[in-house]
Amino acid sequence: MGKKRVGALEKVDADLPNLQYKIRRDPKSYSEDFLNQYGQYQSQRDIFLASPTTATSTGIVSFRDLIDFVAHVADCFPSDTTSFPSDLKTILTLHHASLESELREKIVGSLVLLRRKEIIDSAELLNTLFPILVATPSKTLRTLLFQKILSDLRTSNAKSVNHRLNKTIQTALFNLLTSDRASAKGIWAVKITRELWKRQIWTDSKAVEIMKEAALADNEKVIGGGVRFFLGGDKEREELEDDSSDEEAGIDIGKLKHQAGINKKSRKTKKSLEEAVKKVKKTEKKKNQPHPLNFSALHLLHDPQGFAETLFSKHLQNSKSKLNLEQKLLVLQLVSRLVGLHKLTVISLYSYFIKYLTPRQPSVTTFLACLAQATHSLVPPDALEPLVQKIANEFVSEASASEVASAGLNAIREICVRQPLAMNDTLLQDLVMYRKSKDKGTMMAAKGLLSLYREVGADLLKKRDRGKTATMGIKSGSIKERRFGEEEVGGIEGLELLEEWKAEERKRKRAEKGLPELGTDEEDDEDSDEEEQRGWENWDAESDASSDSGGWINVESDAEIEISDSEDEKPAAKKVKFDTTATKSEPETPAANEEDEKENADKDQALEQKISKLATTKILTPADLAKLQELRLQASVSKITGKNSKSHNQRLKELADRHADDPLTAEQIEGLSMLRKSTREEKIALAREGKGERGEHKSTQALRRQKKDAEGKSTTNKEKARKKNFMMTLGKAKFKQKRSLTQTRRVLKGHIERSKRGGKRGNVGM
Amino acid sequence: MGSSARKKKEKKKDFQKAKLKVGKTKAKPDNFTDTSFKAKSIVVNQQSLTTSAPSSSSQFAHYLSLASSSRSDTQRRDALSYLTTQLSSAPVNRPLPLPTSILLPKLLPLILDGSSSVRAQLLKFLRLLPVSDIGDRAESALLYTRAGMTHLAAEIRVDALAILEWLLEVAKEDVVSCPGGWVKTLKSFMSMMGWASSSGSSKWTSTSKASFGKAGKAFPRQLLILAQFLKAGLVESEEIREVKIGGMFPLVDVEKHMIPTRSNAFAHLNLFGSSRDEEGEMYIDREDRQRVFQKLFQPAVEAGMANAKKEAGEAGRAAAVLAKVLKEGMADYSDVNDTQ
Repeated sequence: MGKKRVGALEKVDADLPNLQYKIRRDPKSYSEDFLNQYGQYQSQRDIFLASPTTATSTGIVSFRDLIDFVAHVADCFPSDTTSFPSDLKTILTLHHASLESELREKIVGSLVLLRRKEIIDSAELLNTLFPILVATPSKTLRTLLFQKILSDLRTSNAKSVNHRLNKTIQTALFNLLTSDRASAKGIWAVKITRELWKRQIWTDSKAVEIMKEAALADNEKVIGGGVRFFLGGDKEREELEDDSSDEEAGIDIGKLKHQAGINKKSRKTKKSLEEAVKKVKKTEKKKNQPHPLNFSALHLLHDPQGFAETLFSKHLQNSKSKLNLEQKLLVLQLVSRLVGLHKLTVISLYSYFIKYLTPRQPSVTTFLACLAQATHSLVPPDALEPLVQKIANEFVSEASASEVASAGLNAIREICVRQPLAMNDTLLQDLVMYRKSKDKGTMMAAKGLLSLYREVGADLLKKRDRGKTATMGIKSGSIKERRFGEEEVGGIEGLELLEEWKAEERKRKRAEKGLPELGTDEEDDEDSDEEEQRGWENWDAESDASSDSGGWINVESDAEIEISDSEDEKPAAKKVKFDTTATKSEPETPAANEEDEKENADKDQALEQKISKLATTKILTPADLAKLQELRLQASVSKITGKNSKSHNQRLKELADRHADDPLTAEQIEGLSMLRKSTREEKIALAREGKGERGEHKSTQALRRQKKDAEGKSTTNKEKARKKNFMMTLGKAKFKQKRSLTQTRRVLKGHIERSKRGGKRGNVGM
Repeated sequence: MGSSARKKKEKKKDFQKAKLKVGKTKAKPDNFTDTSFKAKSIVVNQQSLTTSAPSSSSQFAHYLSLASSSRSDTQRRDALSYLTTQLSSAPVNRPLPLPTSILLPKLLPLILDGSSSVRAQLLKFLRLLPVSDIGDRAESALLYTRAGMTHLAAEIRVDALAILEWLLEVAKEDVVSCPGGWVKTLKSFMSMMGWASSSGSSKWTSTSKASFGKAGKAFPRQLLILAQFLKAGLVESEEIREVKIGGMFPLVDVEKHMIPTRSNAFAHLNLFGSSRDEEGEMYIDREDRQRVFQKLFQPAVEAGMANAKKEAGEAGRAAAVLAKVLKEGMADYSDVNDTQ
């Protein structure tokens, strides 16, 4: 009897993966098989829909496998499977609570697969998954859905930003938050937005608007999520970016190529090498791309004044708010950050602080930091004075503990940095006396206050405390009292320094080239163009921290004006704008004083002369701005002569490093007093930090050997000799004593020759 | 390479043979794990302490649950055979230990069971159920039967046909008129016999590599059961024809104006369920069924039938039976169409 020929499916019943593989290779020939399976799927679906809870997928082929199979080959038979995605969606939306967990996961996975095959679009998928994410009681399903939603949003934004999808999702999230403010469901909107913000997929004001709504919700969790986002979201984003840029540097192409040359050659290794090369190229490309400009969430807020006011009145002032102290502190931090950053006016905020400013109040340093943060130059001194007085009374006294006193002094200093007018002379003179304190923290804090007022309000100090520069300044009239609301007149600080420096540089260069020091205007222009280009390039190199200079956008002299519209250049453009407006408004400010109009007219001209024309005629490159900052620092350092100029320099550096947007923390208020509290363990940990892991005590030699062994490297001859079995060396050692003179000579000669030749075998290739 | 005698000795140690000694227990191997344990008492979890034997009805329920949910093939089969003997040995007019409405939903999934003995036993059991109870549950039975008919495994397909045959015997009218009973079942017939065509396929004919439709021996049987099914759906039953022909002359279509004898007479209006599509619709009238059949299936069936006739032999004979039924069923269709 001849062997019966059997079809693949008869041989192995229910071999769906096999069939799937065949269909993928040749859909047309297997369309009948597919239709059979699809029919099976349909009948199983009917059974399932007839009784979703009791239907168990027993038997050889489960419903789950069929769904998986159909989802995988659905793109080969688009017309037959038109109803498939909607089937899955209805099953999931109607029965997600009662479905068996594996089947549920399979359906979600299949929907995502259909999305990847572009049978359904992202909006459809997300509109199905999102309501379930919010509604389902199952934790595993929630995590799965959350992950799938995020990954889908990421992939659909990977190549280019999908504005339409983003907008629909953002609207859905916004509606979720605003429809029911008391429900905890809004936490999902917060989570999704935060994650996408962190990954820089959503960087627009709409996302910030969502978080704003979250911060104004009624549910504690949602409020916490929203507020935390504003306080930490941007930092998180920066950290992630740093991490990812660290990661990318990891691949060493040279090593990989070398390995591929040595190891067994297979298709797999070849492919992996190609992939690695591709990846490296991609990262290179990414590096050379212009740095995306991301505004922090606090800057993207539409109506910071209204937001701060509602936050304050709803969560803090309202006696019915259910927040606990920790949450209230978070909200307070956000409100004070907003007030400080945008210079808002929320007068009732300051009186709110009064009852919390006692040393017994839990986490009082945070309150102090918040208060300082909420202070800015436009806060009326009347509102602040009682607060400063209260801090001084409650915290700073001989009787109070040293930490308390130093915290109080630090807080007062931080407030006065921002609004010097909040202080009166008796109090200041009283506080300055603490610089004689025995406690270092208190002493430093008092000295800080003293040096601050030498700069901003020396006339409040006693004469002998004023110091040399301040006294001389007052006498000569160069230091004047600043009034409330007064703004400094002028353009960009230190701009004339930059101009000077540039002229000098140009001179130097011309001298190098051997040209006369003063060139014609045309030449100057050429030079400056060149310089400008270099300035942009430099910036690119600096920001990427890499030595290879890639192609930055070429700034041609013709395109100069157009380019100022492009995004990449906003910081410079903004500065220029500000400057021009400042110079324009220049004649108006003095015009307010009508009496001295004539006098002022002369003065104005002088001023205008003084104000450099650099900023109005040229666009400052980022390199220019960096240089400007440096020059400014240098100038302020050189102004202060004396022995402690070094420490002053350091302080200025610190000040410059601290970005204006960075929040003031409780640690800064606590100051030095915290530094001494570190225990022995902390010190040990600090000392250990940065040193490698040392499993056991071994000699350095042994450690080095171990490392070499791990890398699979060979031993040196010396090491081999050291390891040699003693018995094997014995014979040679015994014989050495019995050698005749000729033998000894031969051995010695041989040694010399070997060393010349370079070893026993010599360097044959030479 | 061991560099010293000591190392050599160490290596040797691994391959030393343990010496056996007379009168002593064998040495334990190196990897021996002591698994003995001590317990103060032994608790028997499922100890039955009743003195009387369980009642027959509770035993029946127990076996029913075993049959429907046991993991082992033999256990399911044995439980089913117990249920079968219970039913068959009971006196004729005694009611069932459990009503059909409970029995059927539990046992119908077994149509798709992997073990052939279970399926055979299931058919035996189903044949013992009272005929009058099946009609109302034809829809759910058909669900599983259709799933069986399109199943990957050939044996299950064959056995599902047997179930359909039984259904046609006991509840002919319900099978063809329940929701989805007509079109969906015909569709699964088409795909089972390889007569289905993809809706999106091009006009190119490709030699199908499908192994599914070629049922070999089972093919004549499939033809015969399709013929039965079509007969049930398309050919008027004898009584109705008699009424029509003999009829009380002045009264026309009397039976349509009588109080309906079937349950849920207005089910076809689908007042409360979700809306149905063409496939899931109820086709109560013979004319409806003819229309749908003519529209969706007739060309495919006729083509397939012609091929089968050419095969001759058993398949040819079965095809002839089918052809006869088809002719009979669709004979008056065209004139119906004309009158409309």
